[in-house]
Amino acid sequence: MKKRMKKLAALSMAVLMAASLAACGSSGGDSSTGETAEGAATENAGGGSGDESKEIVYWNIATESPDKDIVQAAVDKFNAETESGYTVTSIPTQNDTYKEKLVVAMSSGECPDMYSSWSGGPMFEYIDSGFAQPVDDLFNASEIKDKLMEAAIAQGTYNDHIYGIPYLNVSLAGIFYNKEMFDQYGLTEPETLADLENICATLKENGITPFALANGSKWTGSMYFMSLAARYGGLEPFQNAVAGEGKFTDECFIQAGEKIQEWVNAGYFPEGVNSLSEDDGQAKQLMYQETAGMLLCGSWYTGTFASDSEEFYQKIGWFPFPAIEGSDADPLIQIGTVGDQFISFNCTGDKLAAAFECAEDHLSDDVMKVTIEKGKIPPVNGVDAQLTDPITKEIIEAANNAPEIQLWYDQYLPPAVATAHLDGLQEVFGLTKTPQEAQESMQAAMDEYLSTKAE
Amino acid sequence: MKEKSISLLELRQRNTRKVAALFLAPITILMVVYIFYPIVDTFITSGYQWNGISAAKKFIGLGNWTKLLKDMNFWIAFKNNVVIMILSICIQIPIGLALATFLDFGGKKLTIFKVIWFIPLLMSSVAIGFLFTYALATNGGLVSTISGWFGGGNIDLLGNPKTALLTVILVICWQFTPFYMVYFMAAFTNIPYDVFEAARIDGATRGQYFWKIALPLLVPSMKSAAILSMVGSLKYFDLIYVMTGGGPGTSTELMATYMYKQSFKTFNMGYGSTVAGGMFLLISMVSLITMKLLNGKKED
Repeated sequence: MKKRMKKLAALSMAVLMAASLAACGSSGGDSSTGETAEGAATENAGGGSGDESKEIVYWNIATESPDKDIVQAAVDKFNAETESGYTVTSIPTQNDTYKEKLVVAMSSGECPDMYSSWSGGPMFEYIDSGFAQPVDDLFNASEIKDKLMEAAIAQGTYNDHIYGIPYLNVSLAGIFYNKEMFDQYGLTEPETLADLENICATLKENGITPFALANGSKWTGSMYFMSLAARYGGLEPFQNAVAGEGKFTDECFIQAGEKIQEWVNAGYFPEGVNSLSEDDGQAKQLMYQETAGMLLCGSWYTGTFASDSEEFYQKIGWFPFPAIEGSDADPLIQIGTVGDQFISFNCTGDKLAAAFECAEDHLSDDVMKVTIEKGKIPPVNGVDAQLTDPITKEIIEAANNAPEIQLWYDQYLPPAVATAHLDGLQEVFGLTKTPQEAQESMQAAMDEYLSTKAE
Repeated sequence: MKEKSISLLELRQRNTRKVAALFLAPITILMVVYIFYPIVDTFITSGYQWNGISAAKKFIGLGNWTKLLKDMNFWIAFKNNVVIMILSICIQIPIGLALATFLDFGGKKLTIFKVIWFIPLLMSSVAIGFLFTYALATNGGLVSTISGWFGGGNIDLLGNPKTALLTVILVICWQFTPFYMVYFMAAFTNIPYDVFEAARIDGATRGQYFWKIALPLLVPSMKSAAILSMVGSLKYFDLIYVMTGGGPGTSTELMATYMYKQSFKTFNMGYGSTVAGGMFLLISMVSLITMKLLNGKKED
């Protein structure tokens, strides 16, 4: 019995080895095909166009309305009207898994011909890896050059070349508030940070949480930090730190962190702020229950409020983050995204021209009509004339008046630095890290990133 | 064929060999493609600085590995894994054993409990994660509400770095205790009924039977249960990822969540592979040591 078992074991081992040898061969083959695919991708990027397919594969996150309606309208328009001979196939993927899917596709040489992203750090990463083409020539010859807002073009630009065509939405960080509640306590929209803090104190005295915030998602708390830092020191400290000429331990960042901790200690944020989840709508719930008075977030919230309850939306007002007295920073600077979704291109020659035409269609009058109907603000000049909603108008006004609009830190920064920022800031909210410590870890991540880039 | 007369035994062995090869081939191929090759490739990738998408990989030798040794976040994650491992073993196995004993002694009339207690294991981890995130929510969650009835304030379990890990561990135990219950129930049925009868005839009480006879007979099952639980908790990922995402800060970061973040969120595939490699080595080491220790005891 025992002997037989031994023999069996030996046999199975032998089979295993033989099979693994065979598989080694095939895996070698696999990796070589992987390499050729990568080679093909770089070849594409280098300018060789051996691609004969007349189909343009377009990846995006428009799985649901309203995004779906907008992208579909643009793609349909292109397919119906184009004279390029190409057709665009839109492949929408759910938001959460989109980034991973794109990374996997790129690493296996299956990168789509055109794809939309949020620009910023990840887009720069795609560009550096050769999966996005500069479209300056096409852009300069196109009518969208004059159409698009300058800030929108700036956010699609990397190393002085245009890589991303924005189309979807203008979204700024600003404060939504409950107008009825403000009336009840005799409050008005604040001009300065001191006014804002008075409002907070009044609300708190009356048993209302001043700010609805769900910081389990981390980026939500970053809204407060970015706004405060921009008002304390403007955008220069941030831009310098990104360029490696300054540090994230600059005074304005520390002050922003300290102000946040001051507010945490004063009870201006909901209890258990770090475990509330934005994805589950736990911040807006506080607004709907009227246990919180204000909410600082991206202005896409207008759409959220309006679609959840039209009645509640009537109670809502909006103002941009107030100025800080005694600071030189321009209070008209805004934080936000001018475009939201940016289309990048991974093809060349005629195909690129056709893909670019499809991107242009996203900004055509017909499609923009759909975009505006669905409550979004396309990032084009003169869009304010077409808007009717008062809050949306205020937002676009703030965007038009802004000398500069900084993209969200967590989107703009290299992903590793963004992670360090979000993790550190969450601990600042939880009072387990000092602002100094959090900023130091962010700077450490930045240093490491810069050192690997410099090599 | 007849030149070398072969015995029936040899013929039989030859057939067995063929059949064995046939049966083992599919699983072997699957294992090679999906386990062995990726492991090797992980270690190869760990030698590169690579963002995961670029065609250009830069070979940096052991650079990632020295970084890993100095990376506090990784060691915090490892420590968290060890905490989960120890508490999982200490909580899941005794409770699982207690439930199994109860069901074993109770017989058929307790089948309803068998079914109810088994339910958590049937649910997907993601569903359990969401369920408990709501149940433990600071505002309006189960715990906060109960605390409110007794005049206490809201309790923030998952948002507080001091309690987050412990809370998640309890949820993990809630999910996996039924597994050990079933495991020990199976072990109980392996103890022949004669043993029980003999013990009773010799005048043993039920308590004596359990402590002096059943428990020693269950020791081998407990050992393998401990190893299962250990390896499971060292590579744990899903529930934590759903419930806390590793936060707040790094308080519930695990090696697996850290690996995922490095690889896919921060475009650091090379370093992510190093973390995976480190995980592989650490888990193998801990498992080997534990098995040695457990088997060593057996020989005493």
